[in-house]
Amino acid sequence: MLKYYLTSTPVLLRKMLGVFLLITGFWATTFAQQRVSGKVLDADGTALPGVSILVQGTEKGTVTGIEGAFSLDVPADAVLEFNFLGYLKQIVVVKNRTSINVTMEADSKVLDEFVVTAMGLKTKKDALGYSTTTVSGKEIVESQRDNWFNSLAARIPGASVGNTSGMAGSSSLINLRGTSSLFGSNQPLIVVDGVLVDNSTFNQGALVSDRPNRDNDYTNRAADINANDIESLTVLKGPEAAAIYGANAGNGAIVITTKKGQIGRGKVSYDNAFRVEQVYRIPETQSVFGQGNNGITDLNTRRTFGPAYGSEVKLYNNSDNFFRQGFSQRHNMVFEGGSKDVTYRWSNSFQDYKGVIPGNSLQNFSSRLVGSVQLSPKVRTETNFAYINSVNDKVFRGANGVLLNLLSWPANDDIRQYETAAGTRRRLLSVANELDNPLFNADRNFNQDQTNRFQGSINLILDPVKWLNMRATLGTDRYTQSGVTVEHPESNAGLASNGQIESYIAINRLDNANFTARANKKVGKLGASLLIGTQIVSSRNDVTSQRGQKFFDPDFYNINNTDPTTHRAKSQITRKHLIGVFAQAEINYDELVYLTATGRNDWTSTLPPENRSYFFPSMGLSFLASKLIPENNVLTYLKLRASYAEVAKDAPPHRIGSILEPRLTTGGGYSYGFFGGNPNLRPEYVVAREVGFEARFFKDRVTLDFAHFFRTSYNQISPPRTSYGTGFVLSYINSGTLSNWGYEASLGITPVKTQNLTWSVNFNFTRLDSRADRLPLDLPEYYVSDSWLFGNVRNSLFKGGPLTTFGAVDYLRNTKGDILINPGTGLPELNGANFTAVGDRNPDFALGIYNTFTYKDFSFSFLFDIRRGGDVFNGNAAFLYSSGYSNRLLDRTQPYVFKGVMRDGRENSDNPTPNTLAIVPQYQTGFFGALSDADFIEKDINWVRMRELSLSYRFPASIVGSSKFVRSASVFVTGNDLFIITNYTGADPAVNGNSAASPGAGSVGFDYGTLANPRGVTLGVRLGL
Amino acid sequence: MQHTFRRIFFIGLLAFLASSCDEFLDVNTDISKPQSASAPVLLPPMLSDMARGEQFDSRFVGQFVQYWHNVTAGSSYEAHGSPSSDANAEKWRSHYYAIGLNVDLMIADAEAKEQWNYAGVARAIRAWSWQTSTDHHGDMIFKQAWEPGRFIFDFDSQDLIYEEVKRLSTEALELLNRQSSASTPAILARGDLVYAGDAAKWTKFTYGVLARNANHISNKSTYDPRKVIEYVDKALASNSDNFLVPHAGNNTDDSNFYGPLRNNMTVYRPSTYIVNLLDSVLLPARDPRLPIMLTPSLDGKYRGINPGAGDPTNSAATTSPTKLPTLFGTVTRPTTDKGSKFIFRDNAAYPIMTYAEMQFIKAEAAIRAKDQATALTAYTNGIRAHMDFVGVAAAARDKYLASPAVVKDAAALTISDVMIQKYIALWGIGSAETWVDMRRYAYNKDIYKGFTLPTVLSSDNGGKLVQRARPRFNSEYVWNAESLKKIGADQPDYHTKEMWFALP
Repeated sequence: MLKYYLTSTPVLLRKMLGVFLLITGFWATTFAQQRVSGKVLDADGTALPGVSILVQGTEKGTVTGIEGAFSLDVPADAVLEFNFLGYLKQIVVVKNRTSINVTMEADSKVLDEFVVTAMGLKTKKDALGYSTTTVSGKEIVESQRDNWFNSLAARIPGASVGNTSGMAGSSSLINLRGTSSLFGSNQPLIVVDGVLVDNSTFNQGALVSDRPNRDNDYTNRAADINANDIESLTVLKGPEAAAIYGANAGNGAIVITTKKGQIGRGKVSYDNAFRVEQVYRIPETQSVFGQGNNGITDLNTRRTFGPAYGSEVKLYNNSDNFFRQGFSQRHNMVFEGGSKDVTYRWSNSFQDYKGVIPGNSLQNFSSRLVGSVQLSPKVRTETNFAYINSVNDKVFRGANGVLLNLLSWPANDDIRQYETAAGTRRRLLSVANELDNPLFNADRNFNQDQTNRFQGSINLILDPVKWLNMRATLGTDRYTQSGVTVEHPESNAGLASNGQIESYIAINRLDNANFTARANKKVGKLGASLLIGTQIVSSRNDVTSQRGQKFFDPDFYNINNTDPTTHRAKSQITRKHLIGVFAQAEINYDELVYLTATGRNDWTSTLPPENRSYFFPSMGLSFLASKLIPENNVLTYLKLRASYAEVAKDAPPHRIGSILEPRLTTGGGYSYGFFGGNPNLRPEYVVAREVGFEARFFKDRVTLDFAHFFRTSYNQISPPRTSYGTGFVLSYINSGTLSNWGYEASLGITPVKTQNLTWSVNFNFTRLDSRADRLPLDLPEYYVSDSWLFGNVRNSLFKGGPLTTFGAVDYLRNTKGDILINPGTGLPELNGANFTAVGDRNPDFALGIYNTFTYKDFSFSFLFDIRRGGDVFNGNAAFLYSSGYSNRLLDRTQPYVFKGVMRDGRENSDNPTPNTLAIVPQYQTGFFGALSDADFIEKDINWVRMRELSLSYRFPASIVGSSKFVRSASVFVTGNDLFIITNYTGADPAVNGNSAASPGAGSVGFDYGTLANPRGVTLGVRLGL
Repeated sequence: MQHTFRRIFFIGLLAFLASSCDEFLDVNTDISKPQSASAPVLLPPMLSDMARGEQFDSRFVGQFVQYWHNVTAGSSYEAHGSPSSDANAEKWRSHYYAIGLNVDLMIADAEAKEQWNYAGVARAIRAWSWQTSTDHHGDMIFKQAWEPGRFIFDFDSQDLIYEEVKRLSTEALELLNRQSSASTPAILARGDLVYAGDAAKWTKFTYGVLARNANHISNKSTYDPRKVIEYVDKALASNSDNFLVPHAGNNTDDSNFYGPLRNNMTVYRPSTYIVNLLDSVLLPARDPRLPIMLTPSLDGKYRGINPGAGDPTNSAATTSPTKLPTLFGTVTRPTTDKGSKFIFRDNAAYPIMTYAEMQFIKAEAAIRAKDQATALTAYTNGIRAHMDFVGVAAAARDKYLASPAVVKDAAALTISDVMIQKYIALWGIGSAETWVDMRRYAYNKDIYKGFTLPTVLSSDNGGKLVQRARPRFNSEYVWNAESLKKIGADQPDYHTKEMWFALP
């Protein structure tokens, strides 16, 4: 009977059940032997209404009321059973007591039995033919990340998570099971309470200046969700799980359930977190040689190929003088309460965060009101409104960014002296295009984004008859993001334009309406459920941007302060609509074998009418093998599962026709833009297969979940460059096939479990591989130009190679592989403009190890993030090497002979001439420019990273209980990214050279001009009132 | 109750799906950017791109024909080389992409509205583009060009493209002559920044294209000098017919490619050859165009660079009396247009075709047709017209015309006399046509007297001179390489393969 109520959230489920029981009965007949009364609480001290209490051996009992209180007449020697779904049964002997307080212990097994799957449906985990990972909101909050995406790192097998830099407000990416789209987004869908949420990162292509997502970063907007509002988060890793979400579920989905108000006495909780952080691991530079070229002092260059500093020269630690201690404070306040018919929860969060770079800060405020009303026993509504405001002050990154400014500052100059007495920029050189002083850059350039966001949803839930549940959801996510960048007239970036200001406003709307109906039926040993539903999605993004140059007054930051003839404006509007209809059927035999089939048909606005409708199915099989073996204490649970799914992805909007671009040439007008449209575009398809098992041993003290998946994506929609014979520079086409496969395992062990002490450890293992089976148009190489950040290294795809390949211009080599040396110069020769495969970013495996200890009221946890293998392009090192600041080759006054053979016509003979030409690098600066950038790709990078370490103490009821005001209190301290042990010579091998807006396989592993993650320690208090 | 709710949902849903599905999904047009535009809006960018394509590549062609040279020694173009890059293939981009399909869009709009003048102008531009692009690149994608859904393209030989120019020009002429109430000068003038709506001048331009087309095959047996003269006589008839692409000169987008703002010409200095032609070294009189087109060093002496040699005064102080000034006329790139001269100003119009050029074509054809008198008239007209174009005062012009530098005896007029004056008249504004001439005459020093070939040729050349520009690297070499192999364009010496037009 309870089955039919299993469509709500766990908390609500419990409460509702209680209410249900309250309403429907279990009225105890009273016979007066002895009255016993008391309260039932959960482990946090919260009252539990609706707990059923039964006198053992009788049918007599009661349920707890709103305040968790009960009162019952029982025989003096009665034994009471306390039962509540989701909690372990408690058995209490009355023993003449008249007052009994009971603490219910949560049954993690039961809570784990259900999982929120696609379309916000709760599904019995036993039935799933695929693997999912659930992370509790508590774990996310306790990780104390300013962008909660980062808390998922190392916690989810099959996922790679990374923030793009250590700046406050930087974007973060989640990639599930590799790259399924060559050029499209590979980010999963983010779904909150059944409503799609926009997780885009502002794409600089919409600006007048049309920048390539590398000199500035913008927050990925799902970070706006307050981590404190997350009850739990389920990761659906691939199309197997997410097929009924339709287009874009090919990248998987992250399904978030928010916290709801609890029935019972109203609660106010307050918690805070104060964090200090410091910069960790910045690239090392040399402070031996001074400015110059060829060993001769030249004060008109920033390059340090000059003579060594004399002992009398005062040297500065400019790095220490640049960074500051970061500080953040966060305050959360939650009001919640509810009766059996109405609940509400109002949560507020405020954060003020100053990063380690001067000028970098993030402030945000979030307020979310969630309420539910039981309109009648069969109709319930849930509403959810959130307002979010965020202000992010940033500094520029990449080639003109503060980090490279800093690293290429000569050690004999004090970086703090960045202004002249007159307040203008103090120049180190007399050349105009000198890189900025980073402090000047951070101080005088301006770079800010502001976001105002509204999210709302309304759910209408109907249970017209026992076997049917219907739910209608309307949700909207609307935000305005606006931003300004100022390149000061004296800064390097603003010099040519004599100052530039560019601002934008992006108005984003994502609306969706869902309707689902689910029916359950059981006949004998056969159980069946059928779901039908529809989803309607409408989105629109309007970006307007304007730019002005030639500042009248150098220090006044407004477009009014610029020459009107330089003003430019641009508008970009993107619209997309989609309708999906889906069905899911599940049958099980005696809850032993489950077969689930889904089908969905989408109609999208982005494909031509004749191709806009497409259907895709999925199938899942689950077999609970442990039900066939006798109950034992070794193997308590074994489930085998397999699934197959297809998902279609539609095209980016507005790519059917070719678009005319306004021209700024004399007389204005229009002509075709770079991109050729394609009136024959079809959806791209992802076909995924997964097999795996879940097993639990030794009374669930050991759990193991293993999955192996294989996924092929074909008909890839991408705009490769093509022959201009098309009439365009790039053309949208369907072509190309990619494969991803991998192994995921999650092993949980609870080695110690006693009354006071529990120790559990969780291992998350991921291994992914990929292959470009066919490139668009069967080209020999396909690259994502965003990744071409520095030198001749980029993310290139070669047929048959992994999607994470580094392409680079390598040395010319003879048939034996020896580097060819120019007989005239003694320097190695490079392979022209030919990019070849020289490395792979993909690691051999990634492993997360999460340990938790609880001892009485203490709890202690730590998370290790371990990676083995995978190459990283140390672009910073390449930059520093070519500009003299590298601490490689400090013995530059010694003669050096490049190992290789002369390119003298005999290089491919049996006896090539070995190179013997010695060069003294100190006197021949050209030496430093002769290396292939491929030399800076560091091979097989491993790391062990202390992601999190957290200790908390909960004040026991004996202390808190004496106060009527405070009902619970705890204190905690958390450390983030405290250390990393790695063979990488640069700063942080996990950073990303671009923002999360970059398409395709992204630019993780391109370390160039990007700040490493700082390390931080957070202290805080949590109070329940 | 339950039934009512269910019914409302299902009926509402079905009604919605059935009625408004298509309408709901019909949002795939970009409402911030159009997918079609009217002809007057499409024409101005095409005109700008005509100039841009020629000017872009003239930086390299100018080194082949020795109009100017790089201040840095060892330019591979001065050694008749062809490095693997997009340089010297802007014409390719211009023809297929920048002008490219915009022509078809304009034709579709114009024909739907019976604006025959626009339809004619569109064809004239495409005819011109085929002509000048094939003269630059040789074999091109022709039959399969712009074919929807095609991404790999075969190359076609030049003779087909020469035929296409004739076909398109003939169509253009018919349309320019065709009348309709929608085909008025006022309507054409809305987009026509060159001829202000005068279809008769577009007709002359189209005949100019035909004149080039007919004259470029002078080495062939099919060459008909009478036809060339006939075309020239219907082509540009005075300097007021010159095809001048205007430039507003306000910013880098609307400025002349050669102007100081764009900073494209800063590294070039005049060649020794042009200095010698104008400064009475190779011709017996000092040319009054010299101070207008070129600039002396501070010591008053005009200097040029030899191919591949670089500017020996490049690193000299700006006050050095012998330092070579820039083409802008100043020692360093001027910060404003005011310091600049001739066609090296930000707002200078760029000539795509001039009356002077037409007259030299006529003079050459007349000599070949053994009509020396016509040749002499055309030759003299050409010199006079160019002098007027650059702004030589009438007295100085007439003095030069009277000097021994100009042939006055019809019988004595030679091809060389014509080609040398044509070379001068196209300096900086007609590198493409001059390169055609030099290739037709195999860089012949008997025609271009005093012309010296570079002492060092690119090692790829096998001793041969440059004959063609390669197809664009990041278009064909990277994305259409298999087709290139079929015509041997993957060979290191492909750029020395002779053009069809120059072959007998």
